Amino acid sequence: MRINFYATLRSAIGQNFVELPLAEGTSVVELAREIARRWPALGDRILDAEGEISGQVHFMIGGRNIRWLPMGSATPLSCDEVIDVFPPTAGG
Amino acid sequence: MTGTVTDSHQGGWTGARLRWAGFDGIVLRGRSETPVYLFIEDGRIEIRDASDVWGMGIHDTVAFFQARYGKKNLSVNAIGPAGETLCRYATWVNEDDRAFGRGGTGAVGGAKKLKAIVIRAGIQKSRDVDRDAWKRVRREALDTIRDEKHITSPRKGGLSVYGTNVLMNATNSIGALGVRNSQFTSFGDRAEALSGEYVKDNILVGDPTCHACPVACKKEVEIKSGPWAGLRMESVEYEPAWSLGSNCDNDDINSVAKMIDQCNDLGMDPIELGNALSMYMEATEKGWVDGEGFAWGDTQSMVEMVEAIARREGVGDLLAEGPALAAERLGHPEIAMACKGQAVAAYDPRGLKGMGLGYATSNRGGCHLRAYVAAAELGVVPGLETDPLTWRGKGELVKTFQDLHAFSDSLDLCKFSAFAMGAEEYAAQYAVASGRSFSADDVMLAGERIYNLERHYNNLAGFGRGSDTLPDRFTKEASTGGGSKGHVSELGEMLGEYYAARGWQDAVVPAEKLRQLEIP
Repeated sequence: MRINFYATLRSAIGQNFVELPLAEGTSVVELAREIARRWPALGDRILDAEGEISGQVHFMIGGRNIRWLPMGSATPLSCDEVIDVFPPTAGG
Repeated sequence: MTGTVTDSHQGGWTGARLRWAGFDGIVLRGRSETPVYLFIEDGRIEIRDASDVWGMGIHDTVAFFQARYGKKNLSVNAIGPAGETLCRYATWVNEDDRAFGRGGTGAVGGAKKLKAIVIRAGIQKSRDVDRDAWKRVRREALDTIRDEKHITSPRKGGLSVYGTNVLMNATNSIGALGVRNSQFTSFGDRAEALSGEYVKDNILVGDPTCHACPVACKKEVEIKSGPWAGLRMESVEYEPAWSLGSNCDNDDINSVAKMIDQCNDLGMDPIELGNALSMYMEATEKGWVDGEGFAWGDTQSMVEMVEAIARREGVGDLLAEGPALAAERLGHPEIAMACKGQAVAAYDPRGLKGMGLGYATSNRGGCHLRAYVAAAELGVVPGLETDPLTWRGKGELVKTFQDLHAFSDSLDLCKFSAFAMGAEEYAAQYAVASGRSFSADDVMLAGERIYNLERHYNNLAGFGRGSDTLPDRFTKEASTGGGSKGHVSELGEMLGEYYAARGWQDAVVPAEKLRQLEIP
């Protein structure tokens, strides 16, 4: 599973993306916890104090923010999914 | 540009310096027979001969006045050759790179033969205010802007670190990044080469700032290779990275930087320019132009055409009219991505539904800034986050944002302050600055009155029922990629909500609404 990071999240780990061999059906929040375990610099950027996905980060599956998906952070992921992870972004 | 009311706002130092010189504003009436400029200092305004600088680019004009009056405490606001030739999207640019970008106000300067407004003034304590109260609201505002949870946070938030172009990868992901004159909605892997992240890693050399701002969203770059190597310019922004980049099928950020610098020097709006070029490229692709035209992503032709447009030479004379008029003259108005004659900006309405409603109902024609509900649709305004693909609720949301921004634009606050602040903060600051009692409700009412007055002007100018529209491409052709794939804009449904929230009859302000808002 490929996870792309953007903006200040990218600079926090010094990489544009990571690849993780997660099982089919892994949920988005489980993915986030695994990322936080492997890259502690991202921990408090993507998880809140309760270990849930922070309101300060946007996980996108196929370009859709999980916030607007019916299962939210419990949405199961496919192994061939590409995930985009953004901090809040605006401007223009 | 449009025949509507218009307004335009610029960053930089001119606004503050004008106040330090003793003025809140300038009203220009009539026109000169010969080129002139205004010189403003110590409460005096003089009209002086500008024959020496007429025809010059803005960079040379700034250097000319700096040589004449010294660099210290000087702001130069100038039009370029595009303003002189009455290009319909000509701009005023201050300090080399911050423009009154939209609406074609530079052509108004050209029509008046007014080349520049030169202001010399140092920092002044400009108003008799309650100093303690001012320090308090100022501190609160700065603390809010600097809070790390906001994108405005210096060196922590995306806007500060990457500039406005931090948006490129995000709109690409959600399917709101126009490609090939908005025929497509995502640039795929190629967006990365245009992004703020790429700019920071490869060509960024500085983070200049406007007056009294800790954010420093301006991004100064130096081109390191290719035909424009050595060019140092500011600022690579999201809007032109889209309009001159992906929307022209161009992933060469160096060429984008070059053309932005040309716009800053020649005095042209890069949003309108990019739309004119992409419209002409689509016309070329479809065989609707006389002669060769030019192909998607042909950066050399694009750079040459920018100069031709400013001088109104050859095809440049047609494209200087803007994409809406030019497409009409080519016999294909449907390929102009414009509302009320002004081109749309870098947010495809199929991927950000509220932005489409904002374009359609903007009082100055296609414009992302009058409503800027992208902040809510991208989830950066706590409590107002909304699904970008949902049309329900966008009518009330767009009205709220338009009213709030009508007020903040009247104070000439940077729009980005709204990423951290809202009506409560604006009311507190205005109350102290003006010495008047003012609440958040007063902010929203003042904004609503402004928005209705502008709309009433437009109604009187001939923009009546049915004038709030989007190009058919956005309402009939489905999004091709990214998160919005398959979507169109439900503009009709959103307009129904919007007019109900406004109390308008279609696009028209009825007499009872004017009375209710005490607009004579």
